[in-house]
Amino acid sequence: MKRKMNLAARRLAAAWLLLLAGCGHGAAQGGLPLRIEISHVVGDAPLQLGDSYKTAAGDVWSAERLRYYLSNFRLRRADGSWFVNPQSADSSRGYFLVDEADAASKQFQIGPLPAGTYSGIEFLVGVDATRNGAGAQTGTLDPARGMFWTWNTGYIFFQFEGHSPQSSDAEHALTWHVGGGTGAPARSVFLQFQSPVEISAENSAELHLHADLARLFDGAHVLHPATQPTAMDAAASAEVADNSAGLFRIDHVHKLPKAGLAAGL
Amino acid sequence: MKRPALWLLGVPLLVVVMAAPLARAMIAAHATPRLQVPQGWPAPRYDFAGNPVTAAGFALGRRLFYDPILSRDGSVACGSCHQQFAAFAHLDHRVSHGIGGVNGKRNTPGLFNLAWQPDLMWDGSVHHLEMQPVAPMSNPVEMGGSLALAVDKLRRDARYPELFARAFGSPGVDSQRLLRALAQFTGTLVSADSRYDRYVQGREAFTPQEHEGLDLFRQHCAACHREPLFSDFSYRNNGLDAAPRDAGRAVISGRAEDQGRFRVPSLRNVALTAPYMHDGRYETLEQVLDHYAAGIQPSPTLDPLLAHGVPLTAGEREALLAFLDTLSDENFIHDRRFAETHD
Repeated sequence: MKRKMNLAARRLAAAWLLLLAGCGHGAAQGGLPLRIEISHVVGDAPLQLGDSYKTAAGDVWSAERLRYYLSNFRLRRADGSWFVNPQSADSSRGYFLVDEADAASKQFQIGPLPAGTYSGIEFLVGVDATRNGAGAQTGTLDPARGMFWTWNTGYIFFQFEGHSPQSSDAEHALTWHVGGGTGAPARSVFLQFQSPVEISAENSAELHLHADLARLFDGAHVLHPATQPTAMDAAASAEVADNSAGLFRIDHVHKLPKAGLAAGL
Repeated sequence: MKRPALWLLGVPLLVVVMAAPLARAMIAAHATPRLQVPQGWPAPRYDFAGNPVTAAGFALGRRLFYDPILSRDGSVACGSCHQQFAAFAHLDHRVSHGIGGVNGKRNTPGLFNLAWQPDLMWDGSVHHLEMQPVAPMSNPVEMGGSLALAVDKLRRDARYPELFARAFGSPGVDSQRLLRALAQFTGTLVSADSRYDRYVQGREAFTPQEHEGLDLFRQHCAACHREPLFSDFSYRNNGLDAAPRDAGRAVISGRAEDQGRFRVPSLRNVALTAPYMHDGRYETLEQVLDHYAAGIQPSPTLDPLLAHGVPLTAGEREALLAFLDTLSDENFIHDRRFAETHD
């Protein structure tokens, strides 16, 4: 019996060694994960849920709820090739549900990236069509989180709920839900880095994104709460979807040493 | 150790032989269905590779199907409106009533061969078999709750956590497991053993009248109700109203040409699933044939195949009805594996 346990212990130790060796090998040829932090702003000021803001046209709006999916991240290398952030079919890894009311959801990591120099980042605001139609999911993609249309099944890519005195809907509600459907894929965003970002085994970076909600109203399309108080299907929300992809900009990128990444700084 | 006498080996054999009829009956009641593709059928759309059917998973799915715990107030189960004796449609209900007795909008369809159906519901609004239960669970006029609420209730239930662990090999109740267990039940509801099927396989003969009915069916109906599933799963306006009261498929597609279009329903088990049409307006198949003969209402989205109706002589009607009766699958509606159990 004792001999058997020794054998089991030895096997466990061997497995650990292999695992550690594997990690070491990976780190040697690859770099660190990239951290992304998102701040919701209106112009230059932080968004406050419940506060009133004004559009260029003079419409007044406030936000009570802001949630959306970001997925399918990839980074462009200086040589034009791409690093595609891995996503697995049996978990929600790589699918991030950002919620203004949940601070933890606004900071996440992608990668680890291979060491190298990167010039830009691309992602979807929403969920790709394949995963959207892949059946019951878990984690951030758990439909029980409520970011899911049950009347025409699929994820709600982007959800903005608030109020506007100009809204013609009951209680001046403003309800914009963007979702997928035939011919309504998730919108893609590409952001060029102002200067190349270096990722190595010792140094990573934090990408600080600003999502400017003013651009939800004054974006590629000018949206008025009076004429569009609700958008609850793929056709009606097409313009909101376009604008949701225009919210994002890189505020700044800063170097993040390995120790800082590990400590969550 | 002394070897047992060789003749003793015969004793269990004798017991097995004597108990065989009993064992067969027990296997029929407790065996786990597997999705088998009947000969001549296309490949199923739902892939069980990602959700392998197990005895414990199927039993859990069946239990959930018949358990009103999935509704907000514990009053309505899937099985409340999907009755096995009606091929899982709701007999005698134009539309069904959900929690608090509120009426739904559309007729409860039968449930069978769902693994072959590309999209579900009358308007094709559900795009994956696993996601189907989420629609009635969260519809205020059906089960009135939500997926999150159902998962929460199941987690706090005295028995379900253990049943989930047994079905999926580790502890944990989540929405994916709930939906996959239900899909193990709904996806294996295969109805392919009607008299029509046995006729096609050469195992049973049709009467001359049934033969005539099959010929008429293939001539007038099969363009939309395509064999062997008896639907081409397209969306069509079959001329019920000049101005559709229910936009149907257009709600999902957003396209004007889909106004008043609904999924072509399978005609398998059609004699068992009255009433008929998306709103259950016709109580009998005779009324349905009356509609196709002389009741077609023209409208911009009317299906061109029905522009002139389907007029039939009295004898042809009788023959067609006789054929439609051969689509009833008695073994399916009496299959004890699909019945509510109280274990």
